[in-house]
Amino acid sequence: MKKNDYVNTLISIIISFLLGGIVIAIMGYNPLETFSQLFQGAFVGNFNLGCTLEKFVPLVLTALAFTVSSAVSVFNVGVEGELYLGAIAAAWVGFSVVGVSSPVHIFLCILLAMVVGALWAAIPGILKAYFKVNEVCTTILFNSVAVLITSYLVSYPLSGHLGVPQTPPIADTAKLFRILKPSRANIGLFIAIAVIIFIYWLLFHTTIGYKLRSVGLNPNFSDYIGIDSKKTMVGGMMLSGAIGGLAGAIEVMGIYGCFLDNFSIGIAFDGMLAALIAKNNILMIPVVSLFLAVLKSGSLGMERFTGVPKSLIDAIIAMFIILATMEGLFLFKKQRKLRA
Amino acid sequence: MIGKLIEMTDINKTFPNVRALEGAQFDLYPGEIHSLIGENGAGKSTLMKILYGVYTPDSGTILIKDQEFKSLTPKQAIDLKIGMVHQEFMLVKDLTVLENIILGFEPRKSFNRINFSATNEKIDYYIHSYGLEIQPHKKVIDISVGEKQRVEIIKTLYRGAEILILDEPTAVLTPQETLKLFSILNLLKDDGKAIVFISHKLKEVMEISDRITVMRHGKYIETVRKSQTSIPELAKMMVGREVFMNIKRVPNTPGDVILTVKDIFVPGDRELSKLKGVSFDIHKGEIFGVAGVDGNGQNELVESLTGLRPIEKGDIIFKGHSIRNLSSLKIRKTGIAHIPEDRNKTGLNNKFTIKENLIANLYRKKPYSKWICLKNSLIKEYAEGLIKKFDIRASGIDIPVESLSGGNAQKVIVAREVDLNSELIIASQPTRGVDVGSIESIREILNEVKKKGAVVLLVSADLEEILSLSDRIAVMYEGKIMGIVSASEATELNLGLLMTGGKAIEKE
Repeated sequence: MKKNDYVNTLISIIISFLLGGIVIAIMGYNPLETFSQLFQGAFVGNFNLGCTLEKFVPLVLTALAFTVSSAVSVFNVGVEGELYLGAIAAAWVGFSVVGVSSPVHIFLCILLAMVVGALWAAIPGILKAYFKVNEVCTTILFNSVAVLITSYLVSYPLSGHLGVPQTPPIADTAKLFRILKPSRANIGLFIAIAVIIFIYWLLFHTTIGYKLRSVGLNPNFSDYIGIDSKKTMVGGMMLSGAIGGLAGAIEVMGIYGCFLDNFSIGIAFDGMLAALIAKNNILMIPVVSLFLAVLKSGSLGMERFTGVPKSLIDAIIAMFIILATMEGLFLFKKQRKLRA
Repeated sequence: MIGKLIEMTDINKTFPNVRALEGAQFDLYPGEIHSLIGENGAGKSTLMKILYGVYTPDSGTILIKDQEFKSLTPKQAIDLKIGMVHQEFMLVKDLTVLENIILGFEPRKSFNRINFSATNEKIDYYIHSYGLEIQPHKKVIDISVGEKQRVEIIKTLYRGAEILILDEPTAVLTPQETLKLFSILNLLKDDGKAIVFISHKLKEVMEISDRITVMRHGKYIETVRKSQTSIPELAKMMVGREVFMNIKRVPNTPGDVILTVKDIFVPGDRELSKLKGVSFDIHKGEIFGVAGVDGNGQNELVESLTGLRPIEKGDIIFKGHSIRNLSSLKIRKTGIAHIPEDRNKTGLNNKFTIKENLIANLYRKKPYSKWICLKNSLIKEYAEGLIKKFDIRASGIDIPVESLSGGNAQKVIVAREVDLNSELIIASQPTRGVDVGSIESIREILNEVKKKGAVVLLVSADLEEILSLSDRIAVMYEGKIMGIVSASEATELNLGLLMTGGKAIEKE
C-alpha cells in the first residue's frame, strides 16, 4: 500500500509532464528543451538551487503543519494565519531584543513564534473539540483576522517608519546564516529537515503520537481506552500552529530580515496542497514539496530562455493535482465496493 | 410436483480479498418456507442479495419462473415479485409507516397527487389477513423493532411480492415476537407465498422450515427436509465438525459485594433519562447477566459504569469507593475492564495495527514506554504473546485490524481486556456477529475469568448466552430492571416475559 503511494505519485508526475510536453509541442516549442531549461533553472548554479530551496522550506513546513492537524482529524486551513503571527512575533523579538548571543537570540525568536502560532491555533481547536464548531469556517476567518492584526501592528506599534509597512530590520544576531549565496537560502532548511524527522518520530514512536493518531482515527475508541480526545485534539492543533509559526519565523529571519506587510501570498495554501497531494503521508511531504518548489523556481528560467509562458507550469501543477486526486477517486470507489 | 419458482446454480462471487461464494446453489418451490443456514460469513446473505439484484454474480445462472438470468437488478427482482427484508431495516425514519410502504410505488390521482385512500385499503387487507399489526400513521422513528419488521414485510407484499426473503429476521426480536413472526410466516405460506428464511439459530430453523439448505464458507453443503434432520446434524454441517455449544456454567460461591449500583438515572442520546432508577449488587466470583431486547438501556448502563456517559442521579460504588462520573481512564485504573458493544466503533481502532490495538491499555506504562518513547520491541513481544495465548488468527501483528474477520477482531478486544487481570470485566455483547468457533472460545475465556475469582458483568441480547453463563440474570426493559432471577429459576419463557415488560411466572 505504502509502496504503491510512491509509485502512483511518480506516475502522476510523469503523466502530467507528458501532457504538458504535448501542449508545449502544440504551441510550437521544443518540449525537451523547455523541460531541460526548467530543471536547469531549478538546480544548476548556487543561485538557482538556492531559490528552489528557499521556496521549499516554507512549503514543507506548512505542509507538515497541515498534516499534523489532519492526524487529529482537524482540517486546518489556518496555517497561513499562524505563519503570519509567528513571523511578526519573530520579527519583534528580532529587533527589540539586543545584546544576546546569536544562538540565544535565534532560539528566542523561534520560541515566541511557535508559542504564538500554537496559541492562535488553539482557539479553533478548542471551538472544534468542545463546541463542535466547524474548523474550516473558523480557520478561514481566523486567517483574515491574523493578517489584519499583523497589518495593524506593522503600520502602528511595530512600524519601522520607513515609508512602507514593515518592521525595523531584525538584529544581525537573529538572522539565520545564509547558504548558497547569492540566493537567500539559509540554515532554516536544516531546521525544517530536523522538524520533519522529529514529527515523524513523535507521531510513530512515542506515546504522544499514539494518542494523536488514535484520536484522529477513532475518537470513540480513544475515549473508551482513556485518552481525552478533546484535549488531544486541541494539543494536535497547537502542535500544528507551532509549526506554522516556525515557518513564519524562518521566512522573517532567513529571507526578509524584517516583517513585511502581506509578505506571504498564500504560502500556506501551497503547503496545504502539498500535504493533500501527499495524502498526509509525512515521508511523501518533502518529495511533493520539493517537486512544487522546483516547478515554481524553474519556471522563471524556462520563460526567460525558451519563451514558454510561466503560466504553463501552473497548468502542469493543476494537471498533476487532478491526476493525484483522481487516484483518490479510484481508491474511494474501491472502498465503496468493498463496503457494499 | 409443481415447478420450481427459483433455481440458482453454480453461483460464484468474489469480493476483493474474499471468495464469498463458490459454486453456491439454491432452489425454491411455491408455498414453502426454505431456510438458508450457515455461520457468519458463510455467504447466505450474499447469495440472497444476488437473487434480489443487489450484487452481480461473477458467474452462474439464475432461473426464475423458467426465465434465465445472468444477473438481476433490484428493479427486475421486484417486477419478478421477489421481496427482501434486509437485516438492517431500509426505512426512512422521519416518514410515517404508510409513506414508507408506498415509497417509490405511490398510487396517483389527478394532478400527480398521491392517492392515500387507495393505499389504506390495500394495507388494511394485509393487516387483517396476515395478522401484520401496524399503525400506518405513526412515524417509523416511534415504533418498535418488531413493528418495523412487520412494516418491511408489508412493504414487500405491497410491491406484489410472491417470494419473500427474510435476512436474519429474528436477530432483533424477543422470543414472544419471534412466535408472532412465525405465525405470520405460516399464514403467508398458506396463502401460497414462498419464503426464504436466513438464520443461524437452529432451533428456530427447525421450527419454521419445510426444507433447509446449509452453507459453509461460501459453498453449498446440503439441502435436507426438516423431518429428516436434527439440530446436532445441522450444527455439524454448518461448522464442519462436531460442536459442543453447551458451555457449562461453572459453579460459584458468591463472595462479598464488589459493585453496587444505587438507583442511577442516566440520560440517553435522545431521552432525558434513558435509565430510570437502576439498582443491583454484584458479588465476587459471579457472572452477572443483563438480558433484554436491544435498546432498553443496556448500552447506557454499560457506558455509565465505564465513564463514557454522565450519571444524573444515583451512585456507583466499586470496592467501597464511588466511581460516579469519573473519567474512563480513572475507572480503568480502579480495576474495571470493558469489552464494548460495538467493536468497530468503540472497541477497536480499525486503522491501527493489531499490535497498536493490543497495547492500548498498556502503552503509557512501564516497561512498554519510557518517558514518551515507545519500546517497540517489548510491545511486539507482548502482542505476539497475546496472539498465541488467545489464539487470534492473523498473518502478522503489523496488519490493520480492519483486515481481520469479526471473530478474530473480537478476540483482539477480549485478549486486551482480559489480560489486564481486572477484578471486574464488563462484557457487552461479547459474541455478537462472531463465528461459532470464536463464540465458543470467548465464552470459555469468560468462564476462566470467573474461575480466577474475577467478576463478569455480561450484557447480551442473546438469551442462550445469558442462560448458559450467568449465575444471576437481571432483565432490563425501558430503562428499568424488571427483575433479577437466579440461574436455577431462569427459563427462556420467564426471561422473555420480563423482557417485554411483563411479570415472571412464579414457580409453583
